[in-house]
Amino acid sequence: MANDLHVLDLIPAYALDCLDEEELKAVDEHLEACETCRAELRAYREVAERMAIGVPQVEPPARLKSALMASVRAALPSQKEFEKRQSKKERPAIGLLRLSPLWLATGLLLILLLAVSNLLLWQQVRALRENRPQLQVISLYGTEAAPAATGLIVISRDGTHGTLVVDELPNLGEDQQYQLWLIRDGQRTSGGVFSVGADGYGSIWVSSPDPLASYSDFGITVEPAGGSPGPTGKKVLGADL
Amino acid sequence: MDYSSFEDSLLMQLIAKAQSEALSELYDRYSRLVYSLALQTLGDPLTAEEVTQDVFLRVWEKAATYRSDQAKVSTWLVSITRNRAIDMLRRRGIRPEGHSVAWEEQNEASSAETNSRSPEEAASLAIQGRQVRQAIARLPADQRRVLALAYFYGLSHSEIAAQIGEPLGTVKTRIRMAMQKLRSWLQEEQGVP
Repeated sequence: MANDLHVLDLIPAYALDCLDEEELKAVDEHLEACETCRAELRAYREVAERMAIGVPQVEPPARLKSALMASVRAALPSQKEFEKRQSKKERPAIGLLRLSPLWLATGLLLILLLAVSNLLLWQQVRALRENRPQLQVISLYGTEAAPAATGLIVISRDGTHGTLVVDELPNLGEDQQYQLWLIRDGQRTSGGVFSVGADGYGSIWVSSPDPLASYSDFGITVEPAGGSPGPTGKKVLGADL
Repeated sequence: MDYSSFEDSLLMQLIAKAQSEALSELYDRYSRLVYSLALQTLGDPLTAEEVTQDVFLRVWEKAATYRSDQAKVSTWLVSITRNRAIDMLRRRGIRPEGHSVAWEEQNEASSAETNSRSPEEAASLAIQGRQVRQAIARLPADQRRVLALAYFYGLSHSEIAAQIGEPLGTVKTRIRMAMQKLRSWLQEEQGVP
């Protein structure tokens, strides 16, 4: 089809972001429906990336990283900043107490309102503290069966899902795989079955019927390929909680 | 945990969840690539530093929007860097041909320092750089020129045509042919069918 051929011709320029307005619209619309062109675009974007590697490589100054990390860490909420803002809000109410009865009544009402909003704000702070942007990370340690192994489970802020990363686990034969167990009240639920690469490294997305944060313990065992309904093989990694 | 063994896409997931150590690791891997592209585009180290900072702050803020099925992390980074650098170029009114921008051959020894994870990775990056420069050097001069105007100045087809005084159709064909050749040569080097 003449139209498709025409769009295909524009993909290299699209990857360079040098199309004119009308061409850009036509290609954008076409890309939504065409996997072939999307694949072509990925390939040409990689050519564009390689062109960046061809540019003379120069190391940026070390202070640039320090400045970046300082900005990033400063953006995370801090308790001190909140307390500062809190104390500023309380000052106006105190001045009003010296004035006439009408103002006194208004002042008292204001104090009451501030006290209530204060309480609500403190509750929010506590909630914020508990739901910090920092994720929950659970470390896993190798057992006697795999002393060099190490791992961690990174759980999303809302606690519903996570990623398991393991390293230095021995390679298993074709008829075996590793299985993650989510443990609560003595019950073990499977969190996923996986194999590791030649270097012993592996990672999987962990999904479970209940939020990951609701489990009290985690473990990884060796199981038949495809997994088992419950743990049967030796344990290689545990959370030591 | 040693973040240096994490894949880029896992780092991005962690950055999306405000793990600053993951951003630190990503910076170690790609700050050189980002800074070098910004420097080559802008010709000024201080502005290039500003752009580099911008790029990684943007990654910090927008990591949740990154889609691994659309591009590799490094490709995404290069794309953001080009956008930011070209934006800066336009704002400061730097004219094309104002400073020399090209994929020139360089003394390989000068690119010895690196924050790459291993000597093998450093060597691999140096080889990739050389391959791309050699491929670009093989292109006809007129194709190289339009490519540089698109790549480093962010000019569109019509703007390039106006800049060099050539017909629009000619510019479009040169860019397409240059990119097609580069893709084919670079795939050959990598042994990709």
